[in-house]
Amino acid sequence: MTTIQIYGAGRAGDGTNTNIAILAQALKDAGAWTFRWLDEVYSNIQTRDSGFAVRAADRPIYGPDDEFDILQAFDEGAFIDIAGEGRIPPITRLKRGGIVIYDSSPRLEAVNAGHEIDLAKIQGILEEKRARVFGLPMGRLAKEECGNYIVRGTISVGVIAHMIGIPEEAILDRFAKNFGAGSPVYEMNAKALRMGIEHARNEGWEAPELRVSFTPLAEDTRQVLLGDEAVAAGAIVAGCRVYAGYPITPASEVLEFMAEKIGQFGGALIQADSEMAAAHHVIGAAVAGARSMTATAGPGFSLMQEAISAAGITETPMVIVICTRGGPATGLPTRQGQEELNEAVFGGHGDFARIVLAASEPSQCFYVMERVFNLAERYQCPVFLLIDRMLAQSSYTVPELDPSRFVIDRGKLLTAEQVAERYLNNGHRYQRYELTEDGISYRVIPGTPGITNYYSNTNEHTEDGYITEEEVVRQRQMDKRFTKRMELIRADKDLPEAVQHGSPEARIGFIGYGGVYGPILEAVERLESQGTKAKFLEMRTLWPFPGDRVREFVDSCDVVYVTEYSAGAQLRGLVQREATGPSPKLRSLLRYDGRIMTPGWILEKMKEA
Amino acid sequence: MATFTATPITRADITGESAWWCSGCGDFGVNAAVQQVIMGLVNELGVPLENIFALSGIGCSSKEPEMLRVNAYQGQHGRSLPVAIGVAIANPGLKVIDFGGDGDTYAIGMEHFMHSIIRNVDVTLVIMNNQVYGLTKGQASPTAHTGLRTPSTPSGKRGRNVNPLRLAIAAGAAFVGRGVSWQRNELVELMMKAINTKGFSLVDVFSPCVTYHREPNARGSGPIYDWYRQNYVLDIKDAWQQMRDQVFTEDERAQLPADYDPTSPEAALNGLRLISEAAKIGREVTGLLLIDESQPTMAENAGVSAERAPALLDISLGANLDNYRQMLAELR
Repeated sequence: MTTIQIYGAGRAGDGTNTNIAILAQALKDAGAWTFRWLDEVYSNIQTRDSGFAVRAADRPIYGPDDEFDILQAFDEGAFIDIAGEGRIPPITRLKRGGIVIYDSSPRLEAVNAGHEIDLAKIQGILEEKRARVFGLPMGRLAKEECGNYIVRGTISVGVIAHMIGIPEEAILDRFAKNFGAGSPVYEMNAKALRMGIEHARNEGWEAPELRVSFTPLAEDTRQVLLGDEAVAAGAIVAGCRVYAGYPITPASEVLEFMAEKIGQFGGALIQADSEMAAAHHVIGAAVAGARSMTATAGPGFSLMQEAISAAGITETPMVIVICTRGGPATGLPTRQGQEELNEAVFGGHGDFARIVLAASEPSQCFYVMERVFNLAERYQCPVFLLIDRMLAQSSYTVPELDPSRFVIDRGKLLTAEQVAERYLNNGHRYQRYELTEDGISYRVIPGTPGITNYYSNTNEHTEDGYITEEEVVRQRQMDKRFTKRMELIRADKDLPEAVQHGSPEARIGFIGYGGVYGPILEAVERLESQGTKAKFLEMRTLWPFPGDRVREFVDSCDVVYVTEYSAGAQLRGLVQREATGPSPKLRSLLRYDGRIMTPGWILEKMKEA
Repeated sequence: MATFTATPITRADITGESAWWCSGCGDFGVNAAVQQVIMGLVNELGVPLENIFALSGIGCSSKEPEMLRVNAYQGQHGRSLPVAIGVAIANPGLKVIDFGGDGDTYAIGMEHFMHSIIRNVDVTLVIMNNQVYGLTKGQASPTAHTGLRTPSTPSGKRGRNVNPLRLAIAAGAAFVGRGVSWQRNELVELMMKAINTKGFSLVDVFSPCVTYHREPNARGSGPIYDWYRQNYVLDIKDAWQQMRDQVFTEDERAQLPADYDPTSPEAALNGLRLISEAAKIGREVTGLLLIDESQPTMAENAGVSAERAPALLDISLGANLDNYRQMLAELR
């Protein structure tokens, strides 16, 4: 695999994210498959250390490599732990012999003042890395020659473009798309870009080993999108027409995408006053007959617990996308984590049917929304989709997404004609919680002619929906909406099956879901290239848990590494509870420092596990 | 929309379970008025019964939808309003009426109460306000008056009570009124006006708890009603006549109309001043305080309407495929 990885280190507010994004777009235009992630983002808007990175390769990639080839540095935070809190600076992840491009001018504006790079102070680490160091007074040039300090990053983009062989036009094309060709912002950035390119050329700054040789596509219909955007787009194609949400990292991009798009399809956006409210808006809209959903993170999902119980007993199709992050409580708001699995599977009081799915990359995020909404309406129960922060907020290149593959199945939701035929024309009385053969009752859209007793109830209820506490009725309703429903769900072919990767005959296995996908795939490749066969069971359905499938996988292995972003080994807990029991074969690879796994991290951790 | 429900409907058509309240409970009066209102909506105004949607939370008052036979959602404590918002936005063609109690809405549901008003969602909220948590046996609610003795305030409630009318006016409700359960005709009129007002409508109703609301020398059904009548309520029209000297300056009084006018641009300020003045003598005002339909509703702000209801859209692939492709083409 040909791959290059570039890291931009600065301070929040420096525009580093924008620089890396431009490079990612240009690399993709050059034919590469990209993965761009927010490596270091504090829950803070300006002044803390920040790091953004892009990896490009000649095939689809779903995660970072261990080390990067180029480090673009705006201040000494790239090299040292300024605050002394134990932060590991990005330079430690630079490849031996890698390139450092830094701003050699002092900070010229008050925002983010200080922390200029003093080469003498960082000589040790630079030598240890055998780094090739290129200094350019970007800040001064930007301010004095281009008229705006903020474009100093664009100068470094020019330097990098020259060194790795991205043509000037490719980046100008992107500027034109982003800023509008010929606009003042475009002109300013174009000038800065050319300045960087020219400077690198004049100084003879070259990196022949890093020159990219991707093949541009004649017609490039590939998508570049965040997991959050893929989920939102998939929801719209699945027919979601009411979105309610409260801003929270890393789910806000779902809200923002919906805010821009849902109205174009006749839908409504409700920016809720809390996650508690959002979840209840979703219930209300679903009861009224609209496909509706919310997205949130762990803290918001905690606030939704009473609502999911309500959706359970009222048999309301409720869709929640849980974008997980490091917890508990506020925890690590802007960092990777998978600590919400237990809450998704066991949360909400009382026993009720539910489905918990996962996605590993944005294509899955998009396509799975068809199933999410179909399952929610087919089984009239809450359906949760778990995506983690890495997936939610990283940008991936994926093949073109095809909305025509979606099939809309609204389950037992009756049209006015069906209501007339089924009830009105033959005197048969409608009952919201009728005990049908399969236990799934019919829904109608309130307002449907002839139905004036569409009665949803969070209290235990009769078939009519009215409160009861009678033991026989209670038991029947519980069996209908929980026991029997879970049996039906378990047998449903639409539950995404676990996918096995690697060598079938391998005796070393990995199990995981979500943001472990890319790193494990590459760890398996590396093991195989070293002569060790390995395989990976990628979990797509987490509840009902596919116990048989997982047991069969574990049985076929000598050792299985359950790999997840949770100190509490929540996935392993489920594996033991639902598949294997306590098994000497199971090991845990747990990352809970808020950072994304890399293939090398996995191989290293295996030695200790 | 065509309806299969034969009109005129009778009370029997919209009567659900037999009432579960204590003998003498104010909620009986409210229920009778609500049924009369629904009959009026259907029989006189031609609203299809199918389009009436009732909600409630938890508490004695939240049994109300069970006493009816209309499309409904009976929810959790304090959470009926956010569900009502979801219903009203998904299908603005429905007449959404939310029933709750003073604990349900003004304590655990206060977040939703305030924001529902500010959003101006087209929902009519009917509160059966009795100053206590009846269903958990009588603890003081947020509207319990200072000094009220209850199992949770054995030496008498300290601190202020929530005044929902004041909050609703301040937050910009389209309709603010208060009825009393024992004057059915006035209550029917108030609720009818509220439902037909565009935007958020609050109808707070004093609906005495005959079992747990105990005043000195006023226990039981009859006496607690007398206590309300004699010691607690003050009609806004009477307050206007009796309190204008205290509330308004001489210059202001010269400009004032003879009677309290809930539709005047000054109604909000006048109402707030009279509420405060009444509170000084331990009284709570009743009647129609405010109607203001000048603000856009939440549905209008969200770009949806009865004709363009999200719940009724064609979400089939065929109808939307080109637009979906366009949306995805932007993600490159």
